[in-house]
This record gives sequence, structure tokens and C-alpha cells, in this order.
Amino acid sequence: MVFNVTHITTYKYNAPVNYCHNIATLRPRKSDGQELLDYKINISPKPAEITERLDFFGNYITRFSIQAEHDTLKVMTKSKIIRHYGTIHDSFFSDACRSITMTQALNALNENDPATMEAKQFVLESIFIRRTDKNIREYAELSFQANRSVFDAAHELMQRIYTDFDFVSGFTSISTPVEEVMKEKKGVCQDFAQIAIACIRSVGLPARYVSGYIETLPPPGKEKLVGADASHAWFSIFIPGFGWVDFDPTNNQIPKDQHIVVGWGRDYYDVPPLKGVVYGSGKSKLKVSVDIARVS
Amino acid sequence: MSTTTKASWLNTYETKFGNDELFTANNDVKTYWKKLFTGFDKLGENGLSGRQKDIDWLLLENGVTYNVYNDPQGMHRPWNLNVVPLVMHRNEWQNVEAGLKQRAELLNLVLKDAYGERRLIKDGIIPHEIIYGHRGFLRQCAGIEYTTEKLLSIYAADLARGTDGRLWVVNDRTEAPSGMGYALENRSTTSRILPEMYSKMNVTRLSTFFKEFHQMLIHAAPGKKDNPNIVILTPGSHNETYFEHAYMASFLGYPLVQGNDLVVRDGFLWMKSLQGLKKIDVVLRRVDDAFSDPLELREDSHLGVAGLLDVVRRKNVSVINPVGSGVIENPGLIPFMHAISKYFLNEDLILPQIASWWCGQEKEKNYVLNNLSNLVVKRIDRTNRESIYFGKFLSDSELESLKAQILERPYRFVAQEQINFSTAPNLSGNILEPRNVVTRAFSIASGDQYSVMPGGLVRVAPDSRTVRVSNQRGGTSKDFWVVEDQVVKEDKNKNWEQKSAIAISGLDDLPSLTAENLYWAGRYVGRTLVNARFIRTVMRQLAMVQNRDEKPEALKLQVLLKTVTHLTGTYPGFAEKNKDGNPAMDSPYEEMLSVIRDKNRVGSLAHTIGMFSNSYYSIRNLWSSDMWRVFENIQKLWQGFLEDENPSILKILKVLNQLITRLIAFMGLIEESIMVQQGLLLYFIGLQLEQSMLTISKCRSLLAVKYESQVEYDLLEYLLTSHESLNIYRYSYRSHIQLEHVLDLVILDVEYARSLTFMIKRLQKDIARLPHSRKDQQLTSYQKYVFSAFSKLRLSESNKLCMTKSKNDVVREDLDSLLGELSDLLYKTSQSLTSTYFNHTDRQTQMFTQSFPI
Repeated sequence: MVFNVTHITTYKYNAPVNYCHNIATLRPRKSDGQELLDYKINISPKPAEITERLDFFGNYITRFSIQAEHDTLKVMTKSKIIRHYGTIHDSFFSDACRSITMTQALNALNENDPATMEAKQFVLESIFIRRTDKNIREYAELSFQANRSVFDAAHELMQRIYTDFDFVSGFTSISTPVEEVMKEKKGVCQDFAQIAIACIRSVGLPARYVSGYIETLPPPGKEKLVGADASHAWFSIFIPGFGWVDFDPTNNQIPKDQHIVVGWGRDYYDVPPLKGVVYGSGKSKLKVSVDIARVS
Repeated sequence: MSTTTKASWLNTYETKFGNDELFTANNDVKTYWKKLFTGFDKLGENGLSGRQKDIDWLLLENGVTYNVYNDPQGMHRPWNLNVVPLVMHRNEWQNVEAGLKQRAELLNLVLKDAYGERRLIKDGIIPHEIIYGHRGFLRQCAGIEYTTEKLLSIYAADLARGTDGRLWVVNDRTEAPSGMGYALENRSTTSRILPEMYSKMNVTRLSTFFKEFHQMLIHAAPGKKDNPNIVILTPGSHNETYFEHAYMASFLGYPLVQGNDLVVRDGFLWMKSLQGLKKIDVVLRRVDDAFSDPLELREDSHLGVAGLLDVVRRKNVSVINPVGSGVIENPGLIPFMHAISKYFLNEDLILPQIASWWCGQEKEKNYVLNNLSNLVVKRIDRTNRESIYFGKFLSDSELESLKAQILERPYRFVAQEQINFSTAPNLSGNILEPRNVVTRAFSIASGDQYSVMPGGLVRVAPDSRTVRVSNQRGGTSKDFWVVEDQVVKEDKNKNWEQKSAIAISGLDDLPSLTAENLYWAGRYVGRTLVNARFIRTVMRQLAMVQNRDEKPEALKLQVLLKTVTHLTGTYPGFAEKNKDGNPAMDSPYEEMLSVIRDKNRVGSLAHTIGMFSNSYYSIRNLWSSDMWRVFENIQKLWQGFLEDENPSILKILKVLNQLITRLIAFMGLIEESIMVQQGLLLYFIGLQLEQSMLTISKCRSLLAVKYESQVEYDLLEYLLTSHESLNIYRYSYRSHIQLEHVLDLVILDVEYARSLTFMIKRLQKDIARLPHSRKDQQLTSYQKYVFSAFSKLRLSESNKLCMTKSKNDVVREDLDSLLGELSDLLYKTSQSLTSTYFNHTDRQTQMFTQSFPI
């Protein structure tokens, strides 16, 4: 499936900004079952300088600065992406994946093959997901049990989050701690992804945060998916002996072709779509719009 | 004075600890210590403690301080240095030196690997958690290529002697190691105080090392420039080691800057100077890793520079040590150092390390949990004092809670053997006592090698029972002498550090934050002086009122008191009434006490003195030692005054007199100690501007309203007195005091240094020398304001200013409106100067507000 994604972020300042430095994680990364066919970024006012690099996790980081006085910053990206995730999606339901139990997984984590070595760091604490309290561990252990399939446990965790948590935008912000989201059982896709990650790490398995988009035009007769008109986020669990498997707790589904990956990291902190330091006084208003059009 | 000489210092030195620097394994006194003690014996008992007093005095004189957070004694506690140095022979030191070079190189390789290929993890030499689980591992820094040969340019190690007689590595410091400046200051002090012993004992000099340090920074510049611009980046005057930053800056001749002084533009790092932006090549960094770039690292940091990391990434600036080097300040590495040494160098470790157990391993973790009360537990990424647990000092419940913490995230903890370090003699009162010592040794990159400072900073436990050695806990320090048998060569060229091209070359390059501090220093010193003089005049009058609490009936006194409020800005004060009348006027003495002593009241004398002190602390690299002495005097005087709970009016007058005299001495010293191109010009501008503004405010409040002639006469006399102009007036006019003459003298005189016109003229001349001032047809806005003020004054005539519209009018409208306009113009001048030169006040904000620690 081929998609055209247009992602526009606008900041309006109530007082002029003299200059700013920004970092964007907007160019979709290299990822299994996905290719980037075309990508353009358009920034207004025109940046004095702009560079791009790969970060620690292999995401594209765009850095730019604007040195002219301005009161509006607009960043628009257009990405053309082809998704052919079907076979990967199907492989999750194979025996190779589903048969691995929790005990086996924890043992296999001691292997020194490159993929496991690389994945292990995603067990450790991260900036937004630090010490996890008892509640999170107990919530996780309801699904993750020694002799149970890790895949089934993760699948159930996704379902439980979908059922137990309410999608309420504006209730949380990016700095709301995971513990509080757990207590209130409310939040948005970032929160649900981070809750799941905290749970999985609390039982000793690697999990990472995936940032991206989801196609929201409902096919005829099907339910409309939540997460429209904004960036989306979900989580991925590493099943030692098999590999990474994605889950979207906001929509209770395993991503297929309608999910488009932009970047991943330990949590939201590693892959914010846009951040920056602004020199000037006053406050800003943020507007984000995402439009996904199916080409074929 | 009688000198009682003890038979020998050596015989009176008692040490029970069995591991003392003085003795060999056979309990013989080491020969070089004997030599030092022979020197001490010649001084006698009083002689040695006399030298200690000299040291204390010298350090105070030079303003050597160490800031202790939340210290009841206040910030800027004097640095402690014990007169007895720690002595070591070159033969032993050479081995230590080789060990430090090896360790520096190893840590350098670990650092390169951590941010590069991470082979140590991939090849199973170290567990991944030791790097990935360390908060100092900054993923933003991965893959950066550096221009310097060594990634780790400065390495400090804390060394202590174990019971086996060898020196052990206790801590590694790599993030922004401190102490080098204190070591230098200790050497400079001790060598002056013990000249006989210093010259006889062949102490290795430090100058070669600092020469290499300077070269290291020059070579670090990208593109191998000949005259790179080097700055020292400090978190500011509240940092615990700020003295050292300022000391190193003036010793090495580099500008001392804060994050606000620097800015990233076009992929380069620039210093905001008075003239404009100046490209910076090398940053000697004293700001912690996570705080150095709010764009990529801690977003709530105001100590760093947004975009700095990217400039490093583009190889347009070198930061020493590189951002991210905190990851190897990591006791988790200790158990693996042998393997690392084998892996990289195929060598054994030369220096022993403290036995350490990393809890990320099952067996080690169990050992630690079973032996917790005999161990010292540290976090792998928090090696500051607050995060160290001494098992034997913990209660049962504390031990349990520590166990729980370890079990929750075992990989974050390391336990170490609690060992007894050696002691060394320390003069305490009149006796030598054994105290535990730890030596911080410094290594720096020098080409493809490391060089080690032949000396270091010795820190001493605060009492004979304490094993924790740290400056924050109030211990003292020592100079460290590496001695040899041959006579050491004196430094031929002592002035090597003298300014070369790298020094600030003139006013244009003055960092704008320094400039602003100087400007405010001028303003606050002016404000303190003018207000102190006026308050003195008022207090003299109050002293004549019989009953302190009596409401002043005399009109002249009421006018005087209202002027105090206007001058100091301590509204409502005497000037405004509330619904209960005017409480201040009802008990004037109480209100005056508050205006003088309440340091929390904005505008009070105490508050102004506080602001004056702050602005001076933040530019302390410009100070001479004489200035320090006078400054300390002012502080002491004021502190003592504030401690006196109920000072008499005479006492207050006495303190004000002393304050004024010392301020004047201080002002004289500033003028002769700081050069105009170092920023003295900014100080003068601030001073003239402030004095002019206060003169205006005082005259307006005292003279704009007409009173009956006796009141008016008294007010004129008060004005002249508080303006220190009564004698001049009598000399110039030889007459009864008249308003017209007073206006001539205090406001309109072009020649008299205390007149408003004179001060404005001087201001006009000074601001013309600022980098952006124009001498052609078009003046800058601040020049226009001052020019306009000057011409208004020149066009005024005193006889007209004296008049009221009619006989019945009480307001002198011409005078009042002139003073009002002048006040307005000077205010605008200040605003314009600020926006032109101190525009670093652009507030840095995040597009999103996020607040979390890295």
C-alpha cells in the first residue's frame, strides 16, 4: 500500500521570537516492511541552516535554526511511503513466535547474538519511564506468567489496556508520569504505549516506543480508528529468540499496513516529532495536522 | 613574645592508626619527612602556628573561597589550607605517575568505545548495563567525531594509601574535574609561607604542567589555529567551586563566561561581547554534561548553550572534557578494569583499586546483600557524597531499605570495601594530629600521551575519627610536595602565563554578562554611597529628637523622612498614607531601622548592599587582593551590625560613618585596579548614571516645594551635608545658604565633580567610548538621551528655577519639571544601554515545557 502523508506543525507566538533552534524527528525511518519513496520538508520562515543525521537508534534527526525574527513557525513534511507488512504481520502468529514462554524468553535474553545484545538496553529505565511502582508490576504480572507464551501475554496486555483505559485527550501531558496514568487509567496513545512499555520492562523484557502515523479513513463498513489528525504511537516488545513485535493498545490491534513508522526509542523522549529552544518572551500556541492519503 | 620550643615536633606526633605517611613499613620516619620536621623544629611551636595564621590570613586576603550549598555560615566560606604539606618522594611518585597515565589512557579508550563502536559490550568485556544503565551515557553524543587526539583531555583521580602501603585509586573524575585551581592556589600560598623548607626540599614545580595545560587547550582548537579563542564556561558565582573558575580564568588569561554569554549561530559558537559576536574555538567546561545544551540535553538548563552539541558535531568547536564524559565517572567499571586493560593494552593495571562488587551480577549481588554493613555502597552514576552509603553507619531499617533499592535495580549499585586510608600530620591548634588524607591527582592529554601534575590537591578529614573526606563537609586541604634529591630548576620564565593573543584584547571583546555586572556594580556602589550619606544626615537629626518614638512635629523632619522614602524607593514608607494614617511617620525610628537593616525589603540599605555584593562576586576574576580586603571589611562591618539586635543611634551613626569611609576606599581601588578596557568604563557609566538619578530624586523631593524660610534654610543645609558639599559651598559663596546658589553648585556647575551637570557631562564622554557609539552625524539613542539631558541643564538658569508661578504658589514648577524630564531621560538611557549591550536577557524557553532529569 502506498500513502502520502502530510504533517503540518504550526507554532504561533504571542510575542516575536528572535531566533530558535529546533530538532525534528519527522522523516520516516528505515523499518521492516516499509520503504520511504519520497520525502520533503518545508519550513517557514526559511531556516538559516538545516542538517540531518541518524541518531543513536537509527532515526532521522533534522536540526535547523531560524535566525530571523518571526511570530509563526510552520514545519510541513510530505512523505510518500510504501507498506508491505502483511507477511511480517502473519509471522507473529506462527509457532516460532507464539511458542516462546516467559521463562524461555528470560533465558534467551542472556544470549550474545547481536539482535539480543542490541535489544537488551530496552529493559533498562529511560527518561520518561523510570522506577515503576508495584501497581505497574502487578498489572503486568496478570498477563506475563512463567509458562505462558510471551506473545499471548503481550497481546492480552494490549487488550487490557484498550479495555481498562479511557482515551481522553488533554488530561495528560508529555510530562505526566506513568504511575499517574496508571492510577487514573486515562490518557492518549503516548500514555498507553508508555504504560505497556513500563509493564513489559517491569517483568524483565525489552520494549520500545514507536512513533508514527495511522491511516484513519475507515474502509466501508468498518469502524473509524482513533488517532486521526495527529501523530500516533504504539509499542514494540522484543521476544528473545524471535524478534520485535508491534502492538497498538490505542486501537487494540497488531499494526499491519495502516501503521506507518517514523521512529523509535526508549520512550517519547527519544523521538519527539518537534522540539526546540526559542529566544524571546511570551507563549506559543501549537497546532498539528496530519493527513494520510492512500495512493494505491 | 616568648617562644617555647618543643624538643621536637616529631616526638610529640602520636599516631595510633598504624598507617601514617610519616613512617616506613619498619616504623622509621621517612627521610624527607624528617627534613620537613627539622624545618618545623626551627620555627618552634608558636612559629608553626604563626605560619598557619599567616596562611589563614593570606587566603582570606586573596578571597579564596569554597561555596557550600545551604550553609548556615553563608556562601563563600573561606578555603582551609593546613600549613603541613603532604610529602612524597619522586621515586614513589614515578610509579604513581605511570599508573595514572595508564588509567587515563584506559578511560579515554572506554569513553571512545562507549560513544563509538561499543566493542567492550559486544565482545563481552563489560556488561551492557554499566554503560546503558548509567545516566551519564548520553545517546545524543554517540557517533560524534572529535578533533582532539584524546577524547578524555582532563582526568582526575582520588588516591589514598591502603594498609599495604600502596596508593590506591578511590574515585575517577572525568565530567568536569575540579581542584586544579585550588591545588595551584595551595602551592602558591604554601611556597610563600614555608619558603625555607620549600627551597631546601627540592619540591617539583607545577609550572611545566600548567604550560602543558595551556598548550593542550590551544591544540584542541579545530583546524589547529595559532591563536584560538578559548573561554572557561562556568555555571556562575553560586557554584561551589566558582572561585576556582575565576582563578583559572585570570591565571590562564581566558574570559570567564556563563551560558548566557554564548550563542550558537550558523553552526558556530559565539561569545556575545560588547562589540558583537566573537567566534569561540575551545570551551573549557565547568558545567555538568546534562546541563550543557538545553536543546538536546536537559531542557530546563539555563547554564548551557542551546545547540552547543551540534557545533561540536560539526567540528567547529572543542569542548574540554567533551559532553558525555560523565559516563566513565563510573564505579561500575572498577571490577572490569583489569579485563579492560588486558583488552585494550594487554597490560596489567599499575595502580591498585578498591575491591568492588557490581550488583548487576548474581554472585556479587548476593555477597553484597549478605555483607552490607561492612561495605560502602555507591550508585554507578551518582558518585557525589549524598549518594554514598556507609554500611556500618546505617541502622537496621536503613540497611533494609538500601537492600530493597539494590534489589529493585541491582545494576545501578556497586559496593566497595571499607578501607582505612593512611593518615598524615595536620596542625590543629598547637599540636600535630594524624588525619586521613585523600589526594586528587590530575592528568591531561599531551599529544598522544598524558602528563601528570607533579602535585595535587590533598583533602583532609575534618576530625581524627572521620573517614569521609570532602570539602563540602568542612575538611581542610594541603599542598602536595613531590620532592627529589637533586636541586630542582627554578622556573626561568615565570611570566609564561602572561597574556598572549588569547587574552581579552579590549572593551570590544568584553563578555556582555561581565559588562552588565560591572555596570550594575557601579550602580549599586553609587546607590549604597548616596543612600548611606543621606540616611546618616537623617539619623543625626533623629538623634536630636528627645523621645525616639515621638511623632516628629517639625515640618523639616517630615520632609527629610519623606525624602528617604523617595530616594530609597521603600514605598509606602513616610511618603504615602493608608487608611490608618501614616504609621511610619508615627514611629519614624522604627521605620528608619527597617530602611537600614531589613535585607528583605527592596530598596533598603541592607538590600542594596546585598545586591552590590552579588554583582561583585560575579566578576571576581577582575579583582585585586586589596579590593578583596576592603570588600571583606565592608561585609564584616555590616554583618556585625546586623547581628547587633538593638543598636543605639550612636552605634548606627558610627557604622554608617565606617561604611561610607570603606566604600570610598573601595571605589578608589576599583579605579586603579581594573583597566578601562577590562570594563571599568561600564562601571563608571553605571556609577555616574546612578549618582545622577539619585541627586535628581533628592533635589526634587527636598526643593520642588517651597517652605517658609527657616525650614527651607535647614533643608538646604541637609542637602549640602548629605551631598558632602557644605564646605565647598561656604568656600565658593561665603554667604548665607541660598537656594539659587545651591542649585548652581549642586545641579548646574560644570566644573564641580559632584554637580549633576558635571556627572552628566562625564557620562556623555564615557558612553561615547562604547563600541556602538557614533561620533558622526547620527547619535545612538542612548547618546541622544544624555545629550538632551546635558543641554537641558546647560540651558537652565538657577534664578528661574527658584521661582514659583506666583507668590502664593508653593510648587517650583520649572525646577520640578526640569528634574522630572531629566529623570525620565536617564531612565531611558539605562533602558537603551541595556538593550544595546546586555541583550543576553532574551529569555530562553522550550517550545514545550517539559521538566525531568536526564
